[in-house]
Amino acid sequence: MTQLFYLSRQTVSRHRSLYAGSFVALAVGVFLLGLAATATAATIAYRGPAASAITVTTLGGDGAAPRQIRVPFSDADVSGLQVVLNMVGAISGFITIFVIASTFAFAVASRRQEIGLLRLIGATPRQIRRMVLGEALVVALAASVTGALAAQLATPLLLDKASYTELAPVKLEPASPWVPLAIAVAAGLLVAMLGARSAARRAGRVGPIDALREAALEPPRIGPVRIIFGLLFMGGAITMLSLIRPSSGDGAVPLAMFTPMVMVIALTLLAPLVVPVVGRLWAVPLVAWTHVSGRLARSNVVAAPRRSASLAAPILAISAVAGSMVLSLSFAADSAGATIRDAVRAPVVATGGAPVTGPGVKAVDAGVPLQMVRIDRDDAELEDVEGIDPVVATQTRDLTPLAGDVRQLTGNTVAIGKEMSGFEGYKVGDEIPLVFVDRTPVKLRVVAIVKDAFGVNPSLLIPLDLARKHAPKAEPERQFVLPADGVDPASLVQQLPHAQLAAAWEADQAAGVRKGNQLGLILLLGPAGLYSAIAIANTLLMGSLQRRHEFITSRLLGATPAQIRRMVLWESSLVGAVALSLGTAITVTVGILIRHAMNAGLADVPFTVPWGVLLGIGGLCLILAIGSALAPTTYILRRSQPSAVME
Amino acid sequence: MTATAPSYPTVAPIEPPALLLDGITKTYRSKAGAVDALRGVTYHFGRGSFTAVMGPSGSGKSTLLQCAAGLDQPTTGTVVLNGVTLSGLSEVELTKLRRAEMGFVFQAYNLLPSLTVYDNVALPLRLTGRRPSRNDVHRVLDQVGLDGKAKRRPAELSGGQQQRVAIARALITQPSVFFADEPTGALDSGTSRQILGLLREATDRAGQTVVMVTHDPVAAAYAERVLFLSDGLLAGHLDRATPTQIAAAMSDLEPPTGAVGWGKR
Ligand SMILES: Nc1ncnc2c1ncn2[C@@H]1O[C@H](COP(=O)(O)OP(=O)(O)OP(=O)(O)O)[C@@H](O)[C@H]1O
Ligand SMILES: [Mg+2]
Repeated sequence: MTQLFYLSRQTVSRHRSLYAGSFVALAVGVFLLGLAATATAATIAYRGPAASAITVTTLGGDGAAPRQIRVPFSDADVSGLQVVLNMVGAISGFITIFVIASTFAFAVASRRQEIGLLRLIGATPRQIRRMVLGEALVVALAASVTGALAAQLATPLLLDKASYTELAPVKLEPASPWVPLAIAVAAGLLVAMLGARSAARRAGRVGPIDALREAALEPPRIGPVRIIFGLLFMGGAITMLSLIRPSSGDGAVPLAMFTPMVMVIALTLLAPLVVPVVGRLWAVPLVAWTHVSGRLARSNVVAAPRRSASLAAPILAISAVAGSMVLSLSFAADSAGATIRDAVRAPVVATGGAPVTGPGVKAVDAGVPLQMVRIDRDDAELEDVEGIDPVVATQTRDLTPLAGDVRQLTGNTVAIGKEMSGFEGYKVGDEIPLVFVDRTPVKLRVVAIVKDAFGVNPSLLIPLDLARKHAPKAEPERQFVLPADGVDPASLVQQLPHAQLAAAWEADQAAGVRKGNQLGLILLLGPAGLYSAIAIANTLLMGSLQRRHEFITSRLLGATPAQIRRMVLWESSLVGAVALSLGTAITVTVGILIRHAMNAGLADVPFTVPWGVLLGIGGLCLILAIGSALAPTTYILRRSQPSAVME
Repeated sequence: MTATAPSYPTVAPIEPPALLLDGITKTYRSKAGAVDALRGVTYHFGRGSFTAVMGPSGSGKSTLLQCAAGLDQPTTGTVVLNGVTLSGLSEVELTKLRRAEMGFVFQAYNLLPSLTVYDNVALPLRLTGRRPSRNDVHRVLDQVGLDGKAKRRPAELSGGQQQRVAIARALITQPSVFFADEPTGALDSGTSRQILGLLREATDRAGQTVVMVTHDPVAAAYAERVLFLSDGLLAGHLDRATPTQIAAAMSDLEPPTGAVGWGKR
């Protein structure tokens, strides 16, 4: 074993360029994971001032014992940041496995002959597998430690940036880094070993005779196990897709974000079958247009399905994941906009808490926002609540009851949204235990279940008097104003301070949703995108560097450097086009489903496709792919043929 | 000498042959159709013999060598090496046998570019899990005349020197059979002589068996017997022949006329 490890170390230092890619990819992956972990540790370690939290006892029952839960109030809440960090970690981990698996597969494929030679002079398949795993370990150790160190250095910077933002409105301090960094390093090693495993297995199948066959092409068949797993993942993805439907409510958005990942795994497993087929399709116009170089590019892509598949994988992964996320969130904002529009009936909205009075005003719906802790069997959560006057509010907004009667909202009662009633199983007549922020516990009887209207109505509505009593300092954030009979809303807006026409207010709200989404997208996709860019460049760069021999032979046969460059250009474009068309297919499918799911019951929903962002993602992928295939080719052609300099 | 079906009085049959081929056939199947590379080869290589295999291009020499060394599975027939039947062995058993009993020298792709000369030579021992002794490695390097170059990498050596490193690597495990496929194919005549001398020495001094495929009559003349292969069949042999005689036999063998009228001394 030690003798073999020695060999691994030697080969790694020899194949530095091959492993440089894996090293960078893994180091960046561990860096992101480490950063997410240290920042999460900081949020966990964060304990706001004691006054801003409330401790309650859950109800228990149905197998769950009552327990104490500490619920922080919103102005000290860091859970938003935690959710984002967890997602960043998940996406980084996902993409890392991907990149590592494909870079190691490359390393093995390009050393077939060398592995054959080792087999010839007496290495057993097991020893070969161990050698490849040993190489992976050498690289993974170095990369993980580097990534963790970098993460440690960057943590204060990140926390500085994240403090006092919407996601974490508090000051965050770095916590002890040992546990989170150990987790990140372990995750890096695990990911590397998982990624290297299939490569090692493939290396173990290389026979001694491969040492003697020159330019042995990889076997075109892919194993039955891989196909079976590919089909399983595909089945899983399709099941998840079928769950993106109107009844899934809020769950539809996370589904729309994670389904593409499963789909990407499935397609990558099946890629050696799928890529040549799609590649052939895309090659039809290419061959018609370019003759020789296009034809060569097609045969290179189609005849080496494994290689093409690993080149396509990172492009497919990021385009599908990022595309679906961008499109889903845009459609979610569309539907949020339509919901807000439909929910507001008053023609005028005044922002802020200043009392609205005047000659032209018939009635003002000055709902008071507050927060309450809702207790259920095994958990307690902080909920947004609004105190309303049911008589006015039923005129200014859509409070159509699906059950019960909103007008009975007096005394210790509550009206709840449809989704909350669905999730928690509350029915009209049930009593919900709640705690006011002033720590007064109450039991409120459900009098009505109303249509959801996120952005206008929170999911709990209580009588205005009750709200005023327990939150005397709370002020309305916006007030819905009914003009007196015969008063033109437009002229009323002129008279009242801070007043807007409802349409304008609604547009502002929709824009706010979109802006909030944007921040989340940048946080989620920024690191993943950066990482994928490295991955794409990495695989294509290695792909071209490995073909030195082929390029030089072609030169000797009389191909001009321009011809070879054109061939590489078309090849990488073809691979990029295949990956992007699969990514687009996933994005479009997810987009259609989520739109259908979220727009149930809404009419005239705006249709906003962020073309710029989507085309930007595709364009960047393509440019990166082509650039990183062409650059090393040009370099090789320059270096290997002195005469090439003269052209 | 005649070109009849083989019956061999060459080595006294007291001890079993080092390598025995019995009715070997090999058919390659591919999309383009089936190729009968070997069509029934039976032969035994005596212990300590040096045998050259010659024949026109495509006659099946490399295939024969690969089947004999267990690198490839014959379609039918059996290979017995030192009393062990190869076809019954698992991949790992075969590897261990190869490690212990066989040495290989090929025309190219012989050395690991990432390792020094020393490490290349020591590699077979490392693969068995043993730490190679410095003395052993330097002894075989000395034997092939490269003791001063232990620290170099293959890319820093000439073709002939690389080939000698490959021989040193084969020697270090003291295999009983050497398989060589055109070991001098890419070398000049002086360097070839050195390589062939080393193989000759292995048979004379250590009683090791050498099977060598070659196109070069001068190289073949180092062997005590030259086997001729034509179209997947043994077509005859020459013993202790001169390069001229071998060349003459070869030219008779070349297509289109095929194997006729040879065997004259
Ligand atoms: N892997 C293979 N697949 C299909 N056919 C093969 C394969 N290897 C060899 N052949 C065919 O088998 C026949 C014998 O090949 P072999 O390599 O043994 O010839 P050879 O005598 O070594 O020739 P040369 O002197 O040119 O090296 C040839 O017709 C060759 O085309
Ligand atoms: Mg040959």
